[in-house]
Amino acid sequence: MQIIENSKVKEKVYIEKLENGLTIMIIPKKGIQKKYVIWGTNYGSNDSKFVVPGEDKETEVPKGVAHFLEHKMFEQESGINSLDTLTALGVDANAYTTNDHTAYLFECTENFYPALDELMDYVQHPYFTDENVEKEKGIIGQEIMMYDDYPEWKVYLNTLEAMYYEHPVKLDITGNIETISHINKEILYKCYNTFYNPSNMAMVVCGDVNPEELLEEIKKRLINKKSNGEIKRIYPNEPENVLKNEVEQNMDVSQPLFTIGIKDKVVEEKERVKKHIAIEILLNMIIGKSSKLYKELYDKKILFSAPSLDYEFSRGYAHVLITGQSKNPKEVFESFKKEVEKMKQNNIDSKEFNRIRKRIYGEYIKEYNDVSDIARMFLSDFFKGINSFEYLEEVINISKEYVEKILKDVFVDDKMIISVIKR
Amino acid sequence: MMKYKEIGIKKGIKLHLIQTDKFKTNLIAVFLTLPLTQENVTKDALISAILRRGSKNMPTLTQINQELEEMYGASFDCGIDKTGDNHILKFYLESINDKFIPNKNENILKQSIDKLLEIIFNPLTENNKFSEEYLMQEKENIKRIINGRTDNKALYAYERCIEEMYKDKPYGLYKYGNIKDLENINAKELYEYYKNMINECKIDIFVSGDIKIDTEKMLIENENIRNLKEREANYILNNIEKKEEAKETEVTEEMDVIQGKIVIGLDLTLNNVEQKYDALVYNAILGGTANSKMFQEVREKASLAYTAGSNYSKYKSNIFIKCGIEIKNYQKALKIIKKQLKDMEDGNFSEEDIANAKKGIISTIKSIDDEQDTEITYFFGQELSGEKISIDEYIKKIENVTKENITKIAKSLKINTIYFLKNIETAEEGK
Repeated sequence: MQIIENSKVKEKVYIEKLENGLTIMIIPKKGIQKKYVIWGTNYGSNDSKFVVPGEDKETEVPKGVAHFLEHKMFEQESGINSLDTLTALGVDANAYTTNDHTAYLFECTENFYPALDELMDYVQHPYFTDENVEKEKGIIGQEIMMYDDYPEWKVYLNTLEAMYYEHPVKLDITGNIETISHINKEILYKCYNTFYNPSNMAMVVCGDVNPEELLEEIKKRLINKKSNGEIKRIYPNEPENVLKNEVEQNMDVSQPLFTIGIKDKVVEEKERVKKHIAIEILLNMIIGKSSKLYKELYDKKILFSAPSLDYEFSRGYAHVLITGQSKNPKEVFESFKKEVEKMKQNNIDSKEFNRIRKRIYGEYIKEYNDVSDIARMFLSDFFKGINSFEYLEEVINISKEYVEKILKDVFVDDKMIISVIKR
Repeated sequence: MMKYKEIGIKKGIKLHLIQTDKFKTNLIAVFLTLPLTQENVTKDALISAILRRGSKNMPTLTQINQELEEMYGASFDCGIDKTGDNHILKFYLESINDKFIPNKNENILKQSIDKLLEIIFNPLTENNKFSEEYLMQEKENIKRIINGRTDNKALYAYERCIEEMYKDKPYGLYKYGNIKDLENINAKELYEYYKNMINECKIDIFVSGDIKIDTEKMLIENENIRNLKEREANYILNNIEKKEEAKETEVTEEMDVIQGKIVIGLDLTLNNVEQKYDALVYNAILGGTANSKMFQEVREKASLAYTAGSNYSKYKSNIFIKCGIEIKNYQKALKIIKKQLKDMEDGNFSEEDIANAKKGIISTIKSIDDEQDTEITYFFGQELSGEKISIDEYIKKIENVTKENITKIAKSLKINTIYFLKNIETAEEGK
């Protein structure tokens, strides 16, 4: 196995790419009781148009299939649900779907191998019938309705809807009641066979384990399946500009919720980590907890807590998100834009830059406390072509000049939009 | 290896040291515990909000945040909680352990402890009162929180059910207080209240991490600790709650929601402390896991809900059932839920159900020391109930729970309140 060690956080990752294309990453953690296993496929809600390897024509499936599949994977031919089997073993099992990947996981202190048996068995053996697919529509329908009541989710979705013309990232991961009504078992099998191929998957384990031994155990549990070759994914041509600069929706919230979105260009793989860090530094300097702007808005009772700051990117999209609650979101938006302009003219203060960089370094170190955080981070970074350790190295080397360049490239007035939810 | 030690710093002030090398961080927590009362609930919430705004040596929020950033992004957090009939002001500071700091000459742990104590015990004052400006802003902030309660519908429904069950009792109070009291509090009076409070409340200081310095000595020498008086700590020991016979009450509230929320509050009458372990296992079978009756019957079989579960509140001897459902299915869901309660009473669950429930609980217990804040919460919970048991003993007690014990719990459960949050227009169908 290939071993990569990071001297800053003092952790190692053992990596092996098997013949069938499956990548396995193991991060040993001595003395921790919990073990965490996560098995993911590089397939999320955005992948609804693709060419099945070996075929010529495109396949298009309804929105929400990746998530629907995630729910249905637990169903077994024996009639026993794998989630029940795992729970009965005393392990904590779950699954989730994002825009770009789907993952199945468990966390345990006992019964590690029986749980691994079950996880690897159910992910490799789908069982879909007309009845069990129909029944799931009721449960997922309830899940969609639950999210309909979450203003935090709506403000986010509306932001994406305003920024993007065509890209599927603008659609809800779950699909909606209408799109899921078209899902049937044939569609599920087709997507499963395409995307749940070892060459499109990765497994991460974190906990007190022996990597070499564990690798052999994992191999034993893999069914014989060959790499099926590259899956061509088709995303629409997305213009660089935003669809609209403002979006508003009424919901029962005590105080308006807002998200400021900045649509960004996708950069080459090797620059992604650096750019991500630069954006984190900039966001903190502009409107973070210790910024002048945040203090000003707090004193004016426009903001009551520092907004959350995010940068999201994957295949074919990248955007900045600033989310908070304010009685006057438009004023936050205007002051934010002004602050950006000011910073562009005056350049970045070195002292401030170094302080924020220290803070971000510390935050990266903290991410290595918990086995589940570590495993999930390695998996989602992997599907983006990133080894998580890169962040710890880049944050130390990043220069003020590069960050200034990103400020001018990314924080552009007409790429910014605001989404508001209010009464 | 984890080592836990308690050290009395002064009467009523205790240091809890958790030596562990599992983490990248040190976590320091300070808890101020005092009885929950109608009279003071709003003041406590306001104090927690005002202290984080600035201290004598770090007078502004910006300055606090900048200093924390210089300490490699140490993070400060504070909050307020009710645990049984106590109101608890919680303050946390997490910073990375010195082992992971590129510059070896700093002592981040010492700085962290000093800074946290400074924020709590050395607030910014003007003319012997809190800053008028901060008070005004934080009143507005608490008001916003109180008015914003309805934003999280599931949490709101849960808290409302508790309020209905504990009308006119301390536990029925909202932890952030109420707007009427808020408006009448002034900076002078609040500061006087604060000075008394910090000299009467129970103080617990937790330090968790790979600790290389003499924390006890540091605390004894710390000026803010030196200024605190010895006290006969005023708080309520969490014991088993005596229940009065309550009539089953149904409460319905209407709001602009798409999904309905049911919360059922049940009273549990326990005869001894040991029964708490039986109740834990009971709850796991009823609604604690994905194997539970609630999850299986309401979500999986009847396809009625996405969320369906229950939790056990050991401090107040209650079980709460929580469900998110389509509004028109209210009666149907209620019927299925009541059937589950009856099944539990009749002993309609298997030895396998019991074994599975125990496995889940034991797994959680075993991983307590995998997370610093979970571990602190565990030891603090013991501190408040006065029952000290080791993790091994705890596991043993769970293992010893029998089916008979569980049905005894089932039989002593009584529905106190059924709370339903629904949409304004939807009519009910299918009784």
